[in-house]
Amino acid sequence: MKPEPRPGRRVTEVVVLTTAMLSFISFWRASAIVLCDLASTAWYVGGIVETAIGPAAPWFILGVMLCAAPMLMLYVEGSSMFVRGGVYKVVRESMGGSLAKVSVSALMFDYILTGAISSVSAGQYLAGLVNSAFPHLHIHWSVDPKLFSVVFALGVVAYFWRQNIKGIEESSDKAIKIMSLVSVMAVVIFAWAAYTIWSRGFRWPSFALNFTHESLGWFPSHLALGRLGLLVAFGHAFLGMSGLETLAQVYREMEAPKLKNLKRAAAVIFVFALVLTGTISFLSVGLIPDEIRHTYADNLLSGLAMSMAGPHWLLLLLQAFVVLVGVIILSGAVNTSIMGSNGVLNRLAEDRIMPDALRHLHPRFGTTHRMINLVVLLQAITIILCRGDVYLLGEAYAFGLIWSFVFNAGAVLVLRFKDRAKREWKFPGNLRIGRHELPFGLMGLFLLVLSVGLINLLTKRHATVFGLGFTSFFFVLFLISERINKREKAQDEHREKFNLRSAADLAIMREEIERPNRVLVAVRDPGNLYHLNKTLETHDAETTDLVVFTSRIRKGLSLVDETVSMDHDEEKLFTRVIEAAEKHGKTVTPMLVVSNEPFYAITQAAQAVGATEVVFGVSAKLSTDTQLERLAMTWGSLQKDKQPVRFRILGPGVEHAVDL
Amino acid sequence: MAWFQKKTPEAAAESPKTTPPVRAGKGLKVSSLLAEDTILFPVEGHDKAAVLQSLAAAVCGKAGIADWASFLAKVQEREQGISTTLDTGLSLPHARMDGIPGILAGMAVLKKPIPDPKQPDLSIRVMFLFFSPNKQDAFPLHLQLLRGVSSLFQPALIDQLTASSSPAAALELIKKLEA
Repeated sequence: MKPEPRPGRRVTEVVVLTTAMLSFISFWRASAIVLCDLASTAWYVGGIVETAIGPAAPWFILGVMLCAAPMLMLYVEGSSMFVRGGVYKVVRESMGGSLAKVSVSALMFDYILTGAISSVSAGQYLAGLVNSAFPHLHIHWSVDPKLFSVVFALGVVAYFWRQNIKGIEESSDKAIKIMSLVSVMAVVIFAWAAYTIWSRGFRWPSFALNFTHESLGWFPSHLALGRLGLLVAFGHAFLGMSGLETLAQVYREMEAPKLKNLKRAAAVIFVFALVLTGTISFLSVGLIPDEIRHTYADNLLSGLAMSMAGPHWLLLLLQAFVVLVGVIILSGAVNTSIMGSNGVLNRLAEDRIMPDALRHLHPRFGTTHRMINLVVLLQAITIILCRGDVYLLGEAYAFGLIWSFVFNAGAVLVLRFKDRAKREWKFPGNLRIGRHELPFGLMGLFLLVLSVGLINLLTKRHATVFGLGFTSFFFVLFLISERINKREKAQDEHREKFNLRSAADLAIMREEIERPNRVLVAVRDPGNLYHLNKTLETHDAETTDLVVFTSRIRKGLSLVDETVSMDHDEEKLFTRVIEAAEKHGKTVTPMLVVSNEPFYAITQAAQAVGATEVVFGVSAKLSTDTQLERLAMTWGSLQKDKQPVRFRILGPGVEHAVDL
Repeated sequence: MAWFQKKTPEAAAESPKTTPPVRAGKGLKVSSLLAEDTILFPVEGHDKAAVLQSLAAAVCGKAGIADWASFLAKVQEREQGISTTLDTGLSLPHARMDGIPGILAGMAVLKKPIPDPKQPDLSIRVMFLFFSPNKQDAFPLHLQLLRGVSSLFQPALIDQLTASSSPAAALELIKKLEA
């Protein structure tokens, strides 16, 4: 039964937009999500790259990890321009929709492969441990590493599928726990390695490149490699740099101060990945004897653990620890790939490139569950098709990675000339000549990644064949669904999908309030959110809940019969509200009420949430004095206590505040 | 929270009016803004405009303001804007006037409810009219009074006021509630 405070003015329906109550994550969590992918490569990149280019692998892996710094800077500049950014958005803004679809199709290929290679590699590590531990436990059977790794990989993918359906807060929590464990392992390994080096000495890897027929691919055998060999080797090591796109995808959900936190996250990611992957690659070649290293190609860290100084049983325990952590972080990489690809597909959906049906929100968790299902399904198919072959996955890998970098660097570079608006942050290496600024730094980076991309086309056959195949498949898929969407609906700007929770009573709002202070911001016009943005700028999200409120005014019977769903204008309004919240990295609680009088609606909502401050924009119809007068009257007539309240009216050049 | 300042000797000295205007300050009550001769009781008005006119004349007369028509015109101009009637049955017309040093107020208790012309589904049972100084620093007081009066005149008080027997009894009811 609907409550009626008294006949006359009332709120008849209350709708809380639960999906829109974004939770924002710290830079530590964002770093952990990205590192789950980037740092996990330490477990397989060494073996794959050494197989491809020989014992000089650590030098090139180090080079690639150093190259992560400018790549991260590239993502910082791109994300500073677009909160919902990433390669798709940046390329679309600079080079148009078709190239954006190509770049994102390539990227999707790598997201699918990241899940597959990480989970299969984790399975390989576990199988290796099981097989080496069983004899010591007097168990006289062994597991087939390939079959075992396929089954294990499918289990991991299924687990993180469920976590991602639940939402980012759940999954970022897992990521940070994983990275804490990896940090502990890194300290143990480095300390143990230091002791081993002290007792046995260390042999630096040679610079000699030793390409196989396979690793040169289609490179003409009669041509001397010369210095081009460095680029070929660099291209083979590039798979060590996966996961960066996810940084752009989680930027949307990064808490305030956003850009500062993005830079912090980039710094943490760079240092951690450089130290972990770089050092482990050197230690593996420097400490594992040459004659046995090839036997650990698929689980190099197990070989490193077993090559440390110490009694055999202790080394077995160390191996078990390394494998356990490896299994966990590699599983975390699966999580990152699901999260990242879900973000990328969402950007496409916002542009009506994905079918609307795929944007459907999970009724309970509010996540885009159908997109997650699609990604996970493709990963599962890849896992089954590769039949546990990590090297095959490694060879096929990095096609999308390098080409998404090429497109991204090219797009950010083009945007420097196309859009001369002031950037919040710029990639360094800019030379000002008169009124013009030449971005030499960006140009250098673009040429580097373009060179690697082109050489990889020749030398990484599997990557080229499978990459082009997958990319074409995704491109055609995106093209068809975009055409269908355009046919079905007139081109319209993006509107967010919302899950709605409704009630006949404003008491529902108490369930949404967590913090001791509350501010209510009344909004109506999507083009007039100045006051919301100003409030968000100074809003303390730690101590204060920000309720963003609008009312739908209905008279007579239509008030009673109103059904709870949002109309086009309300969707547009709340889409802008969510974009503002994302831009500032602060959580808002959006709500809509159906009422027959706007000031009663605002007052009842503000008093129901216990707001100590009510913020309005400047009205086109009413003077600020009239707005305040009417609000003061309504506030008094409905107030049941003497709680003080502040009314604020904010607009460009207008700021009124009154304490009552 | 107190809404008004106490009447100061300086304020009284400045004002040549028969009823010294009241300034905002601590401790002052809505009842202190009213006098028996600024409470019209019971009013037989047929529409809001007529009641407003009678009330404006009474309030200005008590304050010794001869040009009450300009006060009425100002409040009527305000009435053209957003409604000043609440669903409690209280109508709260108001205006900010140049040249007055404090609040001038009066109240009309209606014998029969009259519809609000802007919101016909709402009935007016009591009308509280006030004028406040048209100064920026007096605006918070103006708003506080709007809130204070609308908070005080809840349906229970309005029922009692319409059932009371005289302006003195009505004033006593308000004083009792504010005590």
